Order: sequence, then structure tokens, then C-alpha cells
Amino acid sequence: MRLNLALCLGLALGLTHGKASEPVKPEQFGKLHSLIKPNAGEEKFMEIPWMIDLWEARKKAASEDKPILLWEMDGHPLGCV
Amino acid sequence: MGRELTFADAKIIELVNKNFVPVAMDDWFQRRRQDAEGDFFRKVADQGPRKGQGGGTRQGIYAFTADGKLLQYRNSQDPEVMRAFLLNALKSWGTLSPADRSAARAGIPELKKIDPRYVPTLAKDTLIVNVHARILEKENDFFCHGTCKFPGGQRASHDHLWIRETEWQALLPKSPQIGQEIEIPANLTYRLLRFHLIDNTRGEPPMWSRNEVRKAELKLAVSEIIKDEVRLKLTGAILLSTDADEKIAKRGYDASMLGEICYESSKRKIVKFNAVVMGEHWGEGTYTGGSRPGRAPLGIALELADPSKQADRVPPQAIRETSGYYEAGK
Repeated sequence: MRLNLALCLGLALGLTHGKASEPVKPEQFGKLHSLIKPNAGEEKFMEIPWMIDLWEARKKAASEDKPILLWEMDGHPLGCV
Repeated sequence: MGRELTFADAKIIELVNKNFVPVAMDDWFQRRRQDAEGDFFRKVADQGPRKGQGGGTRQGIYAFTADGKLLQYRNSQDPEVMRAFLLNALKSWGTLSPADRSAARAGIPELKKIDPRYVPTLAKDTLIVNVHARILEKENDFFCHGTCKFPGGQRASHDHLWIRETEWQALLPKSPQIGQEIEIPANLTYRLLRFHLIDNTRGEPPMWSRNEVRKAELKLAVSEIIKDEVRLKLTGAILLSTDADEKIAKRGYDASMLGEICYESSKRKIVKFNAVVMGEHWGEGTYTGGSRPGRAPLGIALELADPSKQADRVPPQAIRETSGYYEAGK
């Protein structure tokens, strides 16, 4: 199935909408992209070299004779939370 | 919050980097895994207060040895509390008996089997695209960073769009011609819209259901060919709303998209995937309260990830149901 088919079905079902959002202006693209992305100042937590595999972290901790620090959240701490 | 408060603290960063092996995990997966890693994690957590009764959360911050002896547990975002936590963990580490310390250095066996239900696997040649959302405000003829009462809600969010090899290959015409339009696989379009054009600036929001995609007029066309490099222009008009009549929808996003995908024709390799989605978002989810009143600008930026960075390989939030994620158009 391709999207065009889905859209046709959607239109056939009368899924209408109001005023559309203004198109992104090409001359503003780069500035907007930079504005939205994280900047270094707000990414301090990434100064810590977080691993994302507990088993690999165990191996590293054993070989380096260090304890493990686990940041465990419902939703990945480095992802969408 | 942990990003904003705890792990943005200079002293905490220094303590962690010098003394610990840091690892970040999603409890939703970890507490459910029925394999050696899941057993190990539960064994560690069971030594603390969060024993996960009834399948409940075990989230928090744990310090423990490689063989699973818990040194400290806290679930706090207060930097002062966390500094004390780290120092106490190091004290416990320093006073381990010689036998315990030796056990902590023992080799870790290979993980032979994993529970595929709760370990999202990044297939070879999957294209990873970083997706960041941020609240914005209008300023003169442009925008500036928005403000929000929710702590950390003004910051850019993080998620990752996974695109299967067959899907991204389908975006690259073999004999490109200027103006040629390329059909985007429906599952990819719906995946992008349903799971990645979300306001996740205050935590995990509800994803869009398939029938909440009210408009998805995406167009991908060859815009330029410079020697071996082919540039594709991505444009789109998008409406996502909880009701077919957006005026009464409790939650919605009315947006436009502009982007550029570039690939090397001979190697069939995508070298750039930049896009911006800009529009007005309104409403909030059960766990993402504190949104701004009414409709307000929300920007979403996409760019190629760097798979060599562990943080860029974190699975998409919506992949908790793998087939649902990849087959978003069904």
C-alpha cells in the first residue's frame, strides 16, 4: 500500500481541515534547523560517556575495576523522556 | 529532569567520569526482559526498595558492582542528593571486602540469548535519523526558543527515526532526473508522522493513531544533480489531530515540512538527511501536562545520526511494539 492510496481514502471519507500552516521558507531553513536542535550548553549530560548496554557495561566495569552507575528510567534517559 | 538537574552538574559529571562506568537504560524493557540481563538487573534492583511488585517500575539511579552487589540506590534529581549518593557509593565500593572486590573483577560471560520481545534490534544498514522537537515563540518575523513552566520543557527533545534499508533504498532513484517525483513508502510516512511529529518536550506523549493523521501531503522530488551527488527536496503539509474537526480537537499539530536528502548515486549512500517541520501544536497527554495554552509554535528538526555514538543508537520511543512501529501505515 502506498500513501497516495491512503490519502485518497482519507479524502473520500471527508477528512477536511481548516487553515493550513504556512510553508517553511527555504531562506529560513538553516536558521530554523539550528534553532530547534539542541545546543552544547543544554547537553551537559552528554559529557558523560553513557553506555546503552548493561552487559557491556558489566564487562567494562570488571576490567577497569570500577563500579557501575545505572540511570534507569521508564523511557530511555537519553531518548524520549 | 535528570538531564536538566542531576547530570548537568559539573561536580556530578566529574565524579561519574572519574569513578564509574555509566550506563543508561529504559526500565520499560529492562524490567520485562526474560533473559540473563533481565535476571541480573532484577537481582540488583531487588536489593533496594524498588522490587517491581506487580510488574511496576524499578526506575532510579543505581550504583553496583559488575557482579551485581548493590552499593547505593536513589531516585532523586536533586544535585545535592545525587552528589552525596555518588560519594556514598564510592565509600561502599572502597570498603568492600577483598572477596567482594575480587568477585567484582571476575570476567563476565557472554550473553548467549536475549529476549527478543524486549530488546529492540537495530538491523544492519538501518538508517538512523535524529529527531528533535522544541517549543518556539514568534519573535519579529522569525522565531526564538519558547518558554515553559515545566522544568526542562524549553529544551530540545531527543528521539530517533529508524528507516529500514529497503525503505531508504526506495527513496533513491536509480536513474534520477531533475523534477522526478519519488513515492515515499506509506509505512515510512506514517511512522514519521505518527511517532515522530509529537510534542515530547515534557516527556513521553501519546503517539498519533493512524486515523489521527488527517493530512499527509508529502512530496519528494529530485531537485539537483551535481556529478555523483543527487539532491532530493522534501516538502509537506501535515495535519495531525485527535478529531476530524481540528477546531474541536483536544490535541493537534498543523505543520509544514521542508527538507533535503542527498545521496551518492554510485554508492547509493545517503550523506545528508536534513528536515524541518514547523507548525502550531496544541494540547497535551496524560503524562505530559504543563503545555502552553492554546496553539503555539513547535519546531521539529531531523538530521542523520552518527551510529558510532551510543546515544544515537538508542531505540525509538515508539518501538516498544516493533511491528506496530515499522508497519505504522497499517
